[in-house]
Amino acid sequence: MKAACIMQKEIRESILTPKGSLWYILTSMILSVLSYLFLTNSELSLLDQGQMLYMIMNFITALGVLMGLVFGADAFAGEIERGTLEALFLSPVTKVEIATGKLGAALANWGILFAISLPYLFVVGKGGQNLFVGIAYLAFLGTFLAITSSAFSMGLSSRIKSVKNSLIISFFIFLLAGSPIFLSAAQRGTWFGRIIDFINPFAGAINTFDSVVIDSQGFGYQAGRVATIFGYTLLSLWFLKRSVSRLEM
Amino acid sequence: MIINVKNLVKKYDGYTALDGLNFTVEHGDIFGFLGPNGAGKTTTIRIMTAIIQADSGNVLIDGHSILGEPLAVKKIINALPESNGYYEWMTAHEYLELFSHLYKEKTSKQEVYKLLEIVGLYGKENHFIRTYSRGMKQRLGIARALINRPKLLFLDEPTNGLDPKGRRDIHDLLIDLNRNHDTTIFLSTHLLDDVERLCNRIAIINYGKIVRMGELDRMKGKGTIEDIFFLSTKEGTL
Repeated sequence: MKAACIMQKEIRESILTPKGSLWYILTSMILSVLSYLFLTNSELSLLDQGQMLYMIMNFITALGVLMGLVFGADAFAGEIERGTLEALFLSPVTKVEIATGKLGAALANWGILFAISLPYLFVVGKGGQNLFVGIAYLAFLGTFLAITSSAFSMGLSSRIKSVKNSLIISFFIFLLAGSPIFLSAAQRGTWFGRIIDFINPFAGAINTFDSVVIDSQGFGYQAGRVATIFGYTLLSLWFLKRSVSRLEM
Repeated sequence: MIINVKNLVKKYDGYTALDGLNFTVEHGDIFGFLGPNGAGKTTTIRIMTAIIQADSGNVLIDGHSILGEPLAVKKIINALPESNGYYEWMTAHEYLELFSHLYKEKTSKQEVYKLLEIVGLYGKENHFIRTYSRGMKQRLGIARALINRPKLLFLDEPTNGLDPKGRRDIHDLLIDLNRNHDTTIFLSTHLLDDVERLCNRIAIINYGKIVRMGELDRMKGKGTIEDIFFLSTKEGTL
């Protein structure tokens, strides 16, 4: 109940304000442009539907991870800097309940992002193979990645107590996580690229999308990667709990 | 007694903020906690309100240990921190409602309005906090600190930065709370005017230790409050 109050406050603060809703407007605009290009551009429209769906799914997942990292970076450090956290700590609410409420809001953020992207996924993937199974995997793995990135970033925010530094580290991690997007195929083939790919839950998710949507492979092929992503989620939740339990003003 | 502080020690990176602190506060007191900047006032309040933990020692609040029963303690106390921030995008009513829900599931609107009336913000409850003056924000902070009808209220420099009218209003409010709402007040300040006007007992802290404590009236027999403060903290003599 108390966590729900915190969650409601966070949702109002970060999502239902003009600043917060800007994220969604920008997301809609970018997805609109991408979808339009996929369907009308003479080169891009040669891609098959599955390929287009896969690319849009990657973009949505990356955005979900990025929003989770940014949302998390402000969660505790922002409240400390604005002087509002002490009043929360004075209330009979545990630090874990506060973190749960904030994490719930971050998850709601991902839920809205996913809901916004659904029409685009249907338009781009319509008529292609594995549309519904692809969307199901996006919902499932995207949720795990959103929890992972938000929880990790919140834990970091409560340890570092500085929004600026939490954001810098979070962006650095985003660049590493998004390496399959940012690194060229040749760079991904190097030892560095292979290590990043191997330990990177984001790479695990997009390889799973590739396998499910383009190669039409079943869950048996995905189990290892899904388990790894789930493991990262548990690890980040443990990190968050440990970090906020030790948080002092 | 409502506060019993026993041998508190707190160190930060080798620096001793509190060095075996001991004192008691009785029910119904307006207890002034004085000391120069960096003496350990805020650290003491943060430990007593279970926001941070002491390295050793304990505090009993109305018989509850802050180490063993921090949530029980938080239900009977509240505080206005020195640099209290506000969710400026909320209205005062929404702000109080949020904190009210953190204490109990159902809160009547009348309770929130009553609090706003006590602190003199009735009629401005639907204004955004960002439009409030500093004095109004302090009043709202006090209203938030009264949301659970605390037996014990901690105030850390509550009149800092306020104009004379704002300070006078806060003084009147605190006297009213103490006399008519049976609230014990623990007032941390370095403004000696506040102490003279409000407190019946004081303690002076310096370098993490209590250097003087007692009834204000008795102490004043030995000189002005300023004399006592400066002599106790060895900041100089008059």
